[in-house]
Amino acid sequence: MFRSFNAGGTAPARRSLWQVIVDDHGPGRIVLWIPLVFMVAFFLIPLALTLVWSVFERTMFWMEPGFTLAAYQDFFGSGRVDSFLNSVKSAAVTVAVAFILGFPIAVFVRRSVPAHAQHQAVLLFILPFMISEVIRLFALRPVLGRNGIVNDLLMSIGLVDEPISALLFTPTSVVIGEVLSFLPFMVFCGFLAMEAVPDYVFELCDDIGSGLVVTLRRVIIPLAAPGIFAAAIFIFVNSLGLFLVPDLLGGPGAANAGTLVVNAIAALDFPLAMAIAAIMVTMMVALLLIGHWLFDLTKLLEPFR
Amino acid sequence: MKQIDFNRRLFLQGLAATAGGVAAAGITPALAAGPTIRLWSAPIMRPFPTWEPFEEQAGITIAWSPKSASADEALSKMMVGDGKKLYDAFTDNGGGMEDAMAENGVIAELDTSRMKNWNLLRDEVRDPNGEAAHSIRYNDKIFAVPYIANADSLAYNKTVLGQDYDSWAPLFDPEFKGKVAMQNDFGPTMTVTAIYLHESGQMNIKDRSNMAKDEIQGVAEYLIEKKKGGQFRTFWNGFQQGVDLLASGEVVMMSCWEPIQRVAAGKASQDIVYGTMKEGHQVWNNIVMLTKDAAKRGVDDAFYKLADTCLSPWYTTRQLSRFGFASLTTGMVDYLEAHPADFNVADLKATLKRKEQRYAVKGNAWQNVYPKELRAYQEWWSRVQAA
Repeated sequence: MFRSFNAGGTAPARRSLWQVIVDDHGPGRIVLWIPLVFMVAFFLIPLALTLVWSVFERTMFWMEPGFTLAAYQDFFGSGRVDSFLNSVKSAAVTVAVAFILGFPIAVFVRRSVPAHAQHQAVLLFILPFMISEVIRLFALRPVLGRNGIVNDLLMSIGLVDEPISALLFTPTSVVIGEVLSFLPFMVFCGFLAMEAVPDYVFELCDDIGSGLVVTLRRVIIPLAAPGIFAAAIFIFVNSLGLFLVPDLLGGPGAANAGTLVVNAIAALDFPLAMAIAAIMVTMMVALLLIGHWLFDLTKLLEPFR
Repeated sequence: MKQIDFNRRLFLQGLAATAGGVAAAGITPALAAGPTIRLWSAPIMRPFPTWEPFEEQAGITIAWSPKSASADEALSKMMVGDGKKLYDAFTDNGGGMEDAMAENGVIAELDTSRMKNWNLLRDEVRDPNGEAAHSIRYNDKIFAVPYIANADSLAYNKTVLGQDYDSWAPLFDPEFKGKVAMQNDFGPTMTVTAIYLHESGQMNIKDRSNMAKDEIQGVAEYLIEKKKGGQFRTFWNGFQQGVDLLASGEVVMMSCWEPIQRVAAGKASQDIVYGTMKEGHQVWNNIVMLTKDAAKRGVDDAFYKLADTCLSPWYTTRQLSRFGFASLTTGMVDYLEAHPADFNVADLKATLKRKEQRYAVKGNAWQNVYPKELRAYQEWWSRVQAA
């Protein structure tokens, strides 16, 4: 914070209103509390309410205070748990595909693009976010459909005799949609992690003749592990929760955790919706703890030493 | 006459109307005189680009708020939220919604003598013993006015298939494996499946729209078996997805709303037909209701003008022309013939005739928004989705 400078022990110089406000002991310090208040009011309290409401009694149109595990029984005793587990599998595959496609891009940008252009190159991956998620996903239908562009191309060059149905309205199309939506997370996080690695590390690998695979496996990936894990968490959680993807690209009745929550709310089963949300949060926290234990997430963005 | 001839023209009309509607968005209430009513309704209630023609006809001013077709939205807003303060009248599905609203004191009982067109309603609804009487009544008292109705059916692409169909059987026939779709909603999908299974003698189901637990299980297990066998390309959600599936050729037949078939036929320029199924259809109506608070505030007069206009042939013929969702009222044919300059009379009479054929099928089941075993429906539908 700024302080007025009092030279020569003379009377304190007159301070402007702005200086008074931003002084360490001035009212400006309240600004520091705003994010904390915001997070408590709009994150922690709703999160706590989610857990509390998940054990409330369901009524016809709302819920009433009480303690029951009926919502959790509804979840685990119906087809919902299968849909949830299917979406966990789908999200895991999405993370793997996003890593295979996205991390090499991050490495390429860090190693091969001139330093002054690296950030601009990474920012290019923001462009897809400028288009509405619904539009992006809906646009995949005429691409992947039975009479879509991909099938037309494959048939025109003689690779297949009849359209491939598996490209759309299947788990495959859900993964394609999720990768399309979340690939930039892997590129951003991977690049940020790689940015902390100084150039001489790469030069050293080149000097000792370390091949690409060995360099990736023994140097680059271990150094970038916290960033890769952060990206994986982003992608995994979003894949579980973004119900638009299975809704637009999934097969008959395809559902992820987000769909299950939406369906529960549509059925006015609010405790069930809260229970599913609570299960998602629990899983996310567990994954973060495991990730921290394995990769020490405090090292994310920490300069290489 | 092919349905496509009819549909392409309507589709273009629809596009023009939609464009006009978009242009006029945000200009409510319009300039019409008369008492103002705050209406929360599905956009489909307005077969015009703006509310102005309706306001002029009814002699009221409408302050309109759009509402989705989702039943939970109405329940949440009216039962838990501030809907009663915000709106004087609102729409939803008949057959359960009016019971929930009336039981909880949200809506007012109606005086049918204040609607001069009330007697145009067909006996199915107007007669206390009619098969759709329950869809506007609670404890034998009238709480709602129907404004659109239909018997949902199977749309099929005759251009591709080369023939007509009059049964739900092809929807479940392995011959069309992976080329059919149903709605991603347990209500219509399980009811239609139940109608087919019952009428084809594969299951004995007492009430197809209000099934017992074991019947729900039987229907769900049938759908699961078909789904696992790859029968369904997908389950559609929402109007645009439905249109896209049919028009793009992803499916050659699917159970759907009539406007989906009409728009898809126009979009694909193919003869996509809305058939009449011999086993039966899910029949439904949408209703408009007056909140108790509005009745106390004296908005009831504006409401009766609105409801009476909805029952008039002036409105029902325009609904028929725009969306194909004519209400269960009489007088449409006479009105069409008296106003040949306003309509393609022959086409609309053909549409009405097909509609009558669907209504007349013995195995039809009326929509039930809140079946007795609602939780069993929800639970088994989750299993269908997860299969």
